Amino acid sequence: MAIQLLNGLVYGALLFTVASGLALMFGLRRIVNFAHGSLYMLGAYVGYSVSHLFGFWIGLFAAGICLALAGILLDGAVFRPLQHRGPLTTLLVTFGLALITEDLVLSVWGKDTLSLPVPPAVGGDWWLLDTTFPVYRLLIIAFGAVASFSLLVWLKGSRAGLFVRAASYDPVTSAVQGVNTDRLGAVVVAVSAGLAGMSGVVAAPLLSLAPNMASDILVDSFIVVVVGGLGSVAGAFVAALLLGQINVLGVVFMPELTSLLPFLLMIAVLLLKPAGLAGDRV
Amino acid sequence: MTKAYGGFVALNGVNLCVEKGEIRALIGPNGAGKSTLIDVISGRARNWTGDILLFGKAIGHLNAAQRRLLGLSRSFQRTSIFQNLTVQQQVQLAAERVGDSECESILEEFGLTELADSVAGDIAYGDQRRLDLALALVGRPAVLLLDEPAAGLSFEESKRLAEHLQVLARRWNVTIVLVEHDMEVVFSIADQVTVLQLGVVLAEGVPDEIRRDRAVVEAYLGSAA
Amino acid sequence: MSVGKAVSWILLAACGPLIAWLPFPLIMKSLLAQATFSALFALGVGLLIKQNGMISFGHAAFFGLPGYLLGVLLPYQLVSAELLICAALLLSGGLAFVLGLVFVRAQGIAFGMLTLAIGQAVYEAATRIRWLSGGNDGLTLKLPAKIFGLSLKVLQQPSGMLAVSWLVMVATLAIVSLLASSRFGRLTEAIRDNEERARFLGYRTLWPRAAVFGLSAVVTGVGGVMFALYSGFISPDTVHWTASGSALIMAILGGSGTSWGPIAGALVYFFLKESLDSFTTHWLSIIGVALIVITVAFPTGLAGLVPFARQLIANRREARLARA
Repeated sequence: MAIQLLNGLVYGALLFTVASGLALMFGLRRIVNFAHGSLYMLGAYVGYSVSHLFGFWIGLFAAGICLALAGILLDGAVFRPLQHRGPLTTLLVTFGLALITEDLVLSVWGKDTLSLPVPPAVGGDWWLLDTTFPVYRLLIIAFGAVASFSLLVWLKGSRAGLFVRAASYDPVTSAVQGVNTDRLGAVVVAVSAGLAGMSGVVAAPLLSLAPNMASDILVDSFIVVVVGGLGSVAGAFVAALLLGQINVLGVVFMPELTSLLPFLLMIAVLLLKPAGLAGDRV
Repeated sequence: MTKAYGGFVALNGVNLCVEKGEIRALIGPNGAGKSTLIDVISGRARNWTGDILLFGKAIGHLNAAQRRLLGLSRSFQRTSIFQNLTVQQQVQLAAERVGDSECESILEEFGLTELADSVAGDIAYGDQRRLDLALALVGRPAVLLLDEPAAGLSFEESKRLAEHLQVLARRWNVTIVLVEHDMEVVFSIADQVTVLQLGVVLAEGVPDEIRRDRAVVEAYLGSAA
Repeated sequence: MSVGKAVSWILLAACGPLIAWLPFPLIMKSLLAQATFSALFALGVGLLIKQNGMISFGHAAFFGLPGYLLGVLLPYQLVSAELLICAALLLSGGLAFVLGLVFVRAQGIAFGMLTLAIGQAVYEAATRIRWLSGGNDGLTLKLPAKIFGLSLKVLQQPSGMLAVSWLVMVATLAIVSLLASSRFGRLTEAIRDNEERARFLGYRTLWPRAAVFGLSAVVTGVGGVMFALYSGFISPDTVHWTASGSALIMAILGGSGTSWGPIAGALVYFFLKESLDSFTTHWLSIIGVALIVITVAFPTGLAGLVPFARQLIANRREARLARA
């Protein structure tokens, strides 16, 4: 049972690192980024290629940097120019970008499933309670924990974080107060993208790489953001953990209906609390 | 009537009693709770305690649509119309709901006849505000709640609005409660004035009394009276 | 309706059977027939956008659901095939209506996610619940020899299906247009523009929007039924999210501001895909770029070019008259 809980935590941690970026982008700029799963996927594939040459850890680092840069580009070329056009526009444009990215991945890496081996430094199992558990999975949990902790500290502690939270409540007033939303936006998108990219690499040894990994994580990430409350990172945290557990438990107890469970969760939450778990709080 | 937002108490034990056919103005500094009171009465705000009685009937448990059908209508501080429909289409929509077929007369009444086929999003701000008001008055509701109807209007337009409201109130026997900052409008048409400050009723009475009330002058009117 | 309009409708309806009767290459007729299925799919998606201002990412669920219902229930021969088709469409629409009552309360993106999730759910069910849906292999439909008085053999041939599906498409478009210009259409558009004000005018805003969702599901489902009849087969591919995405793109391409825009978008998309598929494997990128360009530069889509063209012609005519 404890092992199931841990497994749930693994996926939950991954979900959070990806979904938190989505929540941040929505909170700050009211952006719905349909290409977020693509960022995750690109990170994974870039990490894959780089690790073949320089090893896993360099690959992870490279993915983070590349995707952060991609994020800055994305913000400057797409999000900022289109921010006054209504949420529909960025939604459709990012959808188009997601299609282009999928084509890119198919062209460069092909449609077969690729695998990335667990780095030897963190291979093997540890004795936990009365059974073994892969060390790598613990690493994933640690990765998620570090990411959440850093985000929390940043949001609650730093000046930029304060601005992000303020902007989430009221983008117009924050801009008037002199917050440089442009630069802040670029930072937020870069961080979100970099985080998503790294998550892709971290997830790769566990989940393998395939061109459909973008849409898989995207659906779950969106559910997390909707359930957690649009724009709320704390809400995304709780929702991600919840979804992680549900996914794992579902596979064990009702394999045929596993895919329906997140959906049911979303309906249940929206029925009871239409604004999501966190409501209006960040 | 008590209503709280989070830790902030917007309305604290407010009592408002308006006579049929009366024009009542709600004034007070920002944050006094005037708009909140309108929101509560019209059904826009939730989680309040107290009672709302329309002609003696309790309506607090009804939603906004139901209250409208009982004759309680409102206009909005930030112009709230249907951007992509034509003027005529939206007035007609409003009329059909309350069983009123007199579309042309409403358009005429509010000077919108020439704009009937214009898309609402394209017309001038002043015209849009008149449309907002027209939509609220379709079907000749018994009670009309107005949230800063003169906001953004020029001196001339405000004057015309005030006169128009007064005429309509008398002709159609509409009870009007209006929240306003424009004192010209308030003092020209209000039968009674209620002053709110920080969620509490500060004073109530005919305009002249209020103008002279020292507490009110200090808190709000200053030299504007 | 004016005589001119009535004539246009009749001419439009006649196009399909005409092309089906003329000796065009069989492959072209087959493609056109299949394009009409997509056109109906896109029409449903576009209807939701136009009347509700909502974007569905999972409409493929409603495209394939009637087909799956037919596949599962036909062998039992409980009722006639015709009745089953109607029931399947009503069930699909009914499900959408009920879901709509919950879904439409969600704001913008949350609604989109709910539809995406339901699309995924149906897809997963179609692939995982093998004993019912045939899994990845899909289901063959046990269709009778005659449906609605038409022989199945004719229906499963390009000429036959083209004539029938084109007429069905035009008829459905007519119904949708009628709805859009009706009082209900105006009400839903008002709710789309300003839901709060509609409520404060005394209208209930929940069920009209749910009804539109249900209707859009039925319209899409009609396309799905035609598809199922033509191929005699249904598989998870029909309910994959990429199908939903394509239909959405068709609707945006054609322009969701008019009822007929999505149909035009679907036809253009379909033929573009067929012609480009032989040249390049980068169809995904092409359509991605097209979507971005349309969204940013031509938000009213192809249908939006019509008033533009009309204005151009009117200006030309005026200039010519002025010179005369």
